[in-house]
Amino acid sequence: MSVELATRLIDVLGGLLLFTMLLILAAGQVFRAIYAVAAQAVFLGIAGAVLAAATGSVDLWIIAGITIGAKAILLPWLLIRVVRRVHISREIEPVIPTTVTLTLAAGIVVLAFHLNASLGSVRQAITGNALPVGVTLILIGVLVMASRRKALVQMVGLFASENGIFFTAMAVSQGMPLIIEIGVILDVVLGALVMGILVLRVRSSVDADIADLESLRG
Amino acid sequence: MESSVAHLARTALQAALLVLLGPLVTGFIQKLKARLQCRRGASLWQPYRDLAKLLRKGTVQSDTASPFFRAIPVLVLAATVTTAAMLPVLWAPSGPSSLPLGDAILLVALLALARFLLAIGALDAGGAFGGMGASREMTVGLLVEPALMLAVFSVAVSGGTTDVGLLAARREALALSWTAPDLLALFAMLILALAETGRIPVDNPDTHLELTMLHEGMLLEHSGPGLACIVLATHVKQLVILTLVAALFLPLGLARGAAPGELALALAAFAVKVVLLATFLGLVESSYAKLRFFRVPQFLGLGLVCAFLALALRVL
Amino acid sequence: MTRVTVWLGHLVILGAAIAAAVLALGFLAGSAPAVHVALPRFFPFVSMSLAVDGLSAFFLVVIALVTAAAALYGPSYLAGHAKAPGVQTVALAVFVACMALVCCAGDLVTFLLAWEGMTLASWVLVVADGSEENARAGLLYLVMAHAGTAALLVAFLTLAERAHGFDFAAVRAAARGLDGGERTALFMLALAGFGAKAGVVPLHVWLPKAHPAAPSHASALMSGVMLKVALYGIFRFGFDLLAPAGGRLPASWGWTVLLLGTASAVIGVLLALQQHDLKRLLAFHSVENVGIILIGAGVAMLLGGGRGARPLATLALAAALLHTLNHAAFKGLLFLGAGSVLARTGVRNMEELGGLARRMPWTAWLFLLGAVAISALPPLNGFVSEWMTFQALLLGGVRLGGASGLLAGVAASMLALTGGLAAACFAKAFGVTFLGRPRTAHAEHAVESPAPMIAGMLLLALACLALGLAPGWAMRLLDRPTAELLGGAGASAAVTSSGPLVLSAGDAAAGLGATSISVTASAALLALLAALAWALRGWPRKAPRRLAPTWTCGMTPTARFDYTGTAFAKPLRLIFAALYRPRREVLKETGPNPYVIRRLGYAGEVVDLAETVLYAQVKHWVTAGAHEIRTYSTGRIHGYIAFVLVTLVVSLLLFAKA
Repeated sequence: MSVELATRLIDVLGGLLLFTMLLILAAGQVFRAIYAVAAQAVFLGIAGAVLAAATGSVDLWIIAGITIGAKAILLPWLLIRVVRRVHISREIEPVIPTTVTLTLAAGIVVLAFHLNASLGSVRQAITGNALPVGVTLILIGVLVMASRRKALVQMVGLFASENGIFFTAMAVSQGMPLIIEIGVILDVVLGALVMGILVLRVRSSVDADIADLESLRG
Repeated sequence: MESSVAHLARTALQAALLVLLGPLVTGFIQKLKARLQCRRGASLWQPYRDLAKLLRKGTVQSDTASPFFRAIPVLVLAATVTTAAMLPVLWAPSGPSSLPLGDAILLVALLALARFLLAIGALDAGGAFGGMGASREMTVGLLVEPALMLAVFSVAVSGGTTDVGLLAARREALALSWTAPDLLALFAMLILALAETGRIPVDNPDTHLELTMLHEGMLLEHSGPGLACIVLATHVKQLVILTLVAALFLPLGLARGAAPGELALALAAFAVKVVLLATFLGLVESSYAKLRFFRVPQFLGLGLVCAFLALALRVL
Repeated sequence: MTRVTVWLGHLVILGAAIAAAVLALGFLAGSAPAVHVALPRFFPFVSMSLAVDGLSAFFLVVIALVTAAAALYGPSYLAGHAKAPGVQTVALAVFVACMALVCCAGDLVTFLLAWEGMTLASWVLVVADGSEENARAGLLYLVMAHAGTAALLVAFLTLAERAHGFDFAAVRAAARGLDGGERTALFMLALAGFGAKAGVVPLHVWLPKAHPAAPSHASALMSGVMLKVALYGIFRFGFDLLAPAGGRLPASWGWTVLLLGTASAVIGVLLALQQHDLKRLLAFHSVENVGIILIGAGVAMLLGGGRGARPLATLALAAALLHTLNHAAFKGLLFLGAGSVLARTGVRNMEELGGLARRMPWTAWLFLLGAVAISALPPLNGFVSEWMTFQALLLGGVRLGGASGLLAGVAASMLALTGGLAAACFAKAFGVTFLGRPRTAHAEHAVESPAPMIAGMLLLALACLALGLAPGWAMRLLDRPTAELLGGAGASAAVTSSGPLVLSAGDAAAGLGATSISVTASAALLALLAALAWALRGWPRKAPRRLAPTWTCGMTPTARFDYTGTAFAKPLRLIFAALYRPRREVLKETGPNPYVIRRLGYAGEVVDLAETVLYAQVKHWVTAGAHEIRTYSTGRIHGYIAFVLVTLVVSLLLFAKA
């Protein structure tokens, strides 16, 4: 695969990643947010595969495969199981109105692209616009965590943020060493498992959601 | 620069094509929705039969309506067909022409004129249905405009012109070459297309219940040939929006001359593009429920942010 | 006897307007050099003069157009129900003369004197009615106008000191030598002063109170022309008198004007949407349109000067100036229409009107024409100038690139939003006032206005049509002003390349393609298709027609069934609630049994944030400060003399360093 074609494809995939991020922000139901983050992981995997084909590194092929397997199939399936088991309401309740979060997200994107120029020395040739897109994904993922009430949606934000970290790593150093990638994915899977167990336990014993714990203030 | 006569002939032919195919696209979407709901559905040609039926019927006019009321359906149809004359359906222009008719801003403004006249007509007959439909339709229309302008700008920035034909020709010459801003602008336009064509989740075009209709509320007092004009205008507007999206983002297979092979290819390409976009509309209509009216600004806000990002990524 | 004098007075004004228009048009079309006329010495140390150049002549055309229509309209309007029509006629004449003087002033003193005269004459017109409410509106108007004039005074005096004289030529030469910071400070002062008169947000609060209070033809002149004279000041000072040598204006000027314009446009139209009073609604729309003009001016300032950007700057400035003329035409028309309704029904609140289209057909359809024009819908003139502004923003944004380009794109989307909001607002205004059923007896017994009033409106309507269908000829009018202010070829070279019926915007030097529209062609196509559709309606057979009551679920429809203006604007009231802070209460009146409701009332309110937040705060500070100072007024004379002593000692210490 030629470098130019790889650059074009990664550019397009960056746009798709941004769009799925907006879908997560604007989602009104938990399932839609989960499907959006699964789609995001699929696009990320494809980007990894494209980069692997362009650079010929075997590690990247493995990482792309693990991304699709773990973050596009396993983790969303886990989250959907928890949602179905717990029978929580499907609506996502925002802490601040959705229009405000969308405006903040737009501001974050503009900021990231504006600062792109000063971060230019770090970029690699192939990945073009991937660095600001990755930074945007990280920041908007944290925004999702900060602005949504349900713990499960905050997990989705964490996954999205993690996708952003991967994309940034691809942009900066063409992937991290394999062992680090596997370690990060294991961390995320562990975090998902812990969160899932916690939500189930809290639900079954107290019949309240994590966000309601704030009413325990003394 | 081509001769004015040839240019006029092509414009007229393209407009006629859009007017004739408009109801067919609606019939296709209805058939698709029916199949997805495991029904057989009405035939593809049903909208034509409906129009013929309306033309045969008499007119019942409200006794409070002013004399201008009779002219409104005609003006709405004229404005919509004028927009149909402005799009590159089969031919891409090779350069600026002496009688320019392709500007995107003029197109959007003519559609706004049609909407304004319909709202006036709805208020003319009096009654609460017309008022509510007019109020809601104007609100949705004005929320669409900023996003539409941003999306058109993001495409126009690279071409340096807002002429739809020239933008299509330029993109075709570059063999599509989509970039991230183009994708975001396309997603924004698809969201806005749902609002402009009055489809779920913004409006329900099949129902005539008072509270669920925006567009239909304005049409309640029209009947007979007047209603036929407005219904035809609605079909044409839908096809105009789809053709606009196709021209800005998918301009493949446009013809340059009058060779029959080229024309056949252009017609086939147009059919494929329209079927693709109509399928998208039909799938969205079947998958989602209509949004509560005060959730629609949030939905359109997503389109606005996408269009804003498209411009930002293009410019920064 | 009074009637004859009133008629004579108005005919004199009409004649003067026509003469001025002819002279100005001749000046603009020709290439005679700028006219200088020295005025006789009224004051010993100051020589006053008049100077008419391209910009002045263009604004004279604007003034003359609306004045002619108002002069035709005035006598019949005043004959109806006005108090002291003679005084009002004289005030009108003085008002128009002062506005023309402002545009033709050749030195700072003439400018200021004419400016004051304009304010005072319009104040007389505002309070002429004699009512309490108008008196308060007039007071607020005077206060705001003089606050603006104070800012202008400071700027003018500083300039006069630098230039050692008041003449515009001397000021221009002296301004070349100013350093950047001082120049920007002077421009911002001038912008504040002129902006207060023009109704730029947040200095617009007096506009919706004062403009509706004056008689309708005076409102038309105030909204349509006086605001433009204030904008003339901005153009004159920004592009001509304060411009640095070499032509490149500082970027901060352009950005300030652009941002103020965008804010005025959006906030003005949002506030207009919630009004019931027809004239207040139109006054808020003036704020919106001033914003649109400032958007064009801001882009011209950003792009002006320097090589290569000149065609784009000319395009932007031409858009702003053309919108000045267009707005004067359609705002004048709308105010005259509202005045016609007021004269015949005695009611300004649109919720008490309705069904007037059948009773006052000429007024109604001319108002509709004005409504279509102000909503920037083709094929009328509002669309032409908004199209040019859009092109200026797009091409200019591309030229500036980077974050500036993004802001230009956002300004363009806000401009599109205001177009949509204006269309919704006028659908409501026209629909609730003229369509449907009459809601009160006032509306039911209305009859058409007398012919002179219709003639005035017809004149402006024809102007709207002409400017919309043949905009290329308007470009020829703009040649001289744009060439003089920005240098280079005039507007018609930048905008009309292939004949007067086609407008094109492009920048060949920067490699940007050209976009062209032909409003005439699209209007012709529209008319042709409408005729075709009308002819084909009778095919295959003529459909029988019958009348029936409007469907209201089977009940007999009355005027209570019709949608009200408040209801029409409700979706937007909720969507933009952050700006409106709407408050509503439902009042229930029950009989002896609390479960049986006898009457149900609904009261709602929106606020003008500028008024409640900004002005209330300023008022609070001023009164609190005044209370504080009051404690120092001991009432004993020794305290006051000691105060004077301390002040003298302090000033001696401060200024004795030499």
